[in-house]
Amino acid sequence: MTNELKLNNTVSEQKVKAPKKRRAVSLDRRKARAGYFFVLPFLIGFIAIYIPMIWDSIVYSFSRVTIIPGEGSITDFVGWENYREALFVNPDFVKTLISGIKELAFDIPAIILFSLFMAVLLNQKMAGRAAFRAIFFIPVILSTGLMETIDASNIMEDAMEEGGDYGTETSTASEIVSAIDIEVLFQGMKVGTELVTYVATMINNIYDIVNRSGVQMLIFLAGLQSISPAIYESCSIDGATGWETFWKITFPMISPMILVNSVYTIIDSFTTNQNTVMKFIDGVYTQSNGKEISSAMSWMYFLIVILIVAIVAAIASAFVFYQRKD
Amino acid sequence: MNAQQTGAPKITKESKNKIRVEFERTPLKERLKAKFINMAFVGGVIWYIFRLILLIGIAYIVLFPFYTKIAGSFMGRDDFVDVTVMLIPKDFSLDIYKFILLENQYFTAFGNTLLLSASAAIIQTFICCLIAYGLAKFKFKGANLVFMAVILTMVVPHQTIQYSMFMNFRYFDIFGIIKFLSGNATVGEIGFLNDILANINIFGAEPSSKFLQAVVEDGAFNLNNTYWPLVILSLTGLGFKNGLYVFMLRQFFMGVPNELEESAYIDGSGTGRTFLQIILPLSVPMMITVFLFAFSWQWTDDFYTTLFFTTNKTVLMPQVVEIPQSLETSYPGQNLYYAAIRNTCGLLIILPLIIMYLFCQNFLVQGIERSGLTAD
Repeated sequence: MTNELKLNNTVSEQKVKAPKKRRAVSLDRRKARAGYFFVLPFLIGFIAIYIPMIWDSIVYSFSRVTIIPGEGSITDFVGWENYREALFVNPDFVKTLISGIKELAFDIPAIILFSLFMAVLLNQKMAGRAAFRAIFFIPVILSTGLMETIDASNIMEDAMEEGGDYGTETSTASEIVSAIDIEVLFQGMKVGTELVTYVATMINNIYDIVNRSGVQMLIFLAGLQSISPAIYESCSIDGATGWETFWKITFPMISPMILVNSVYTIIDSFTTNQNTVMKFIDGVYTQSNGKEISSAMSWMYFLIVILIVAIVAAIASAFVFYQRKD
Repeated sequence: MNAQQTGAPKITKESKNKIRVEFERTPLKERLKAKFINMAFVGGVIWYIFRLILLIGIAYIVLFPFYTKIAGSFMGRDDFVDVTVMLIPKDFSLDIYKFILLENQYFTAFGNTLLLSASAAIIQTFICCLIAYGLAKFKFKGANLVFMAVILTMVVPHQTIQYSMFMNFRYFDIFGIIKFLSGNATVGEIGFLNDILANINIFGAEPSSKFLQAVVEDGAFNLNNTYWPLVILSLTGLGFKNGLYVFMLRQFFMGVPNELEESAYIDGSGTGRTFLQIILPLSVPMMITVFLFAFSWQWTDDFYTTLFFTTNKTVLMPQVVEIPQSLETSYPGQNLYYAAIRNTCGLLIILPLIIMYLFCQNFLVQGIERSGLTAD
């Protein structure tokens, strides 16, 4: 059919008038139509399912729902009641929210730095690279959902490492390094204690960080692969060291990925089930009459995180370098 | 080079057609010295060792939890109170496996989850390819808006809309159409639509497990406790992390040269055919990557399954994670024993994923390498 149209398009303009004059559709228009056809499933779903769901969720956060068996549900509008209850009546929500955001501020630089570093390492040529890559991507596939839930309250690993101490809390015992060790290391250097504790916590949370940086590592690796080897070659001919090459070539070229990854990490770490705020909201959801309040809470949380994403994206995009495409 | 410094190479004529050239070579010792004893080489070796240690260390961090799970799963009851037992089981026993397989409905859950995950993953992969291709290769009004909408579905956490999602599929009715068609139907006495829908049994499952049979209740379809919610979400590209898949695939398609499609168009192939016969075969590694993600994230999912499957009629993976009745005991090592049992449940759940990963990990890395994923 498209073939026919194409003929019509080119022939009818120059030659004799065709007996049946059909309106020629330009290639661009036809391609645009095809584009709509391709995104049609998503458009239908977005308009018919997703927007009503979002709308309902906003409505629920402002109302109280009673389900009457056999007839359906009744939604009463109660105004800001749910929000008031979440902010002022519930004793833990604000506290959890603040600590959750603090956690976020801690996690994101750690995950970005780690995944960038690992991606650079895994991009180098060496023996066993494929095996290491395969191992590092295991958590992306396996440590999600149910496994995360099981691991969240897992005393096995600690017990295995420690040997004794069964049944007791071994959280302090299983620390790899303590802040004091690092403080000794940094003594004399002008480094604040906050940075020291930050590094110490980062090392102790390494398992968590490794687990959560799989997708980011993939994205960085893909970005590194897309840098032309010719640039590196000309660099090494000019006598640049590896360190210089990283900061002058790799880092600017990968900076768009850093932006993408920061946004992805923020979104990912606040939507995961293991996030403290999410766990808290899930807990509220299962309480009786907690469904509307949990809606209100999650909308507030969502707005805050959107704000954070916007700020981070705005700051990061000022430093992003885009290679001009000629 | 050396020869030039010390003089020209000696050339002797051996026979009519043969000459012999003798270079004065630097002694082996000198050459080795020049090659190995310098900053670049020593630095390289140090870096190599450092890197290897680092990689092995992190590989250990990744693999150790799995090892503890495996080791724990083979331990007998007494090992959990024995202080001398650490990483290697002493009282070797297969009890934990035996009772989980016998009592936790593992095989039923396996079958159901396989059906659910495979269908969801196949649908999601194909639909996301469609959407991503449309967004990557066609310029149409509102394309950017659609892409923003895709990103929005990724950004809004599913907890935010979990209640409305539940209610939406509990009283499933698109703009009141179904209510209009079925009249003021009540439970038991229902319009013709239900007859149609109730008989749709796509996968030919046995009647007792009504995966796809919806029930009309309260004037709307109650799709909960069926596979419909997840199928519908997958069909419309709204499933778990579908925004990410669309993003990844879009970047991949943007890297596919336009000339391929143009030559196909000139040869008279339409857009649909070009997509199916030219583009899709090209993107198999990327599709396998997306399929792997979709399948394994659906397989271990405990958000949608617990949200939509409110009764225990359809046994899915989350229900496997519990203590088998025969193993319920109370003794000093109880906490640890129960932890080991739960971990074994986890191991059994991810066992198929491990096998699949072993076969597909090559594609995972390849797919990413070829994607040329860029962020503009």
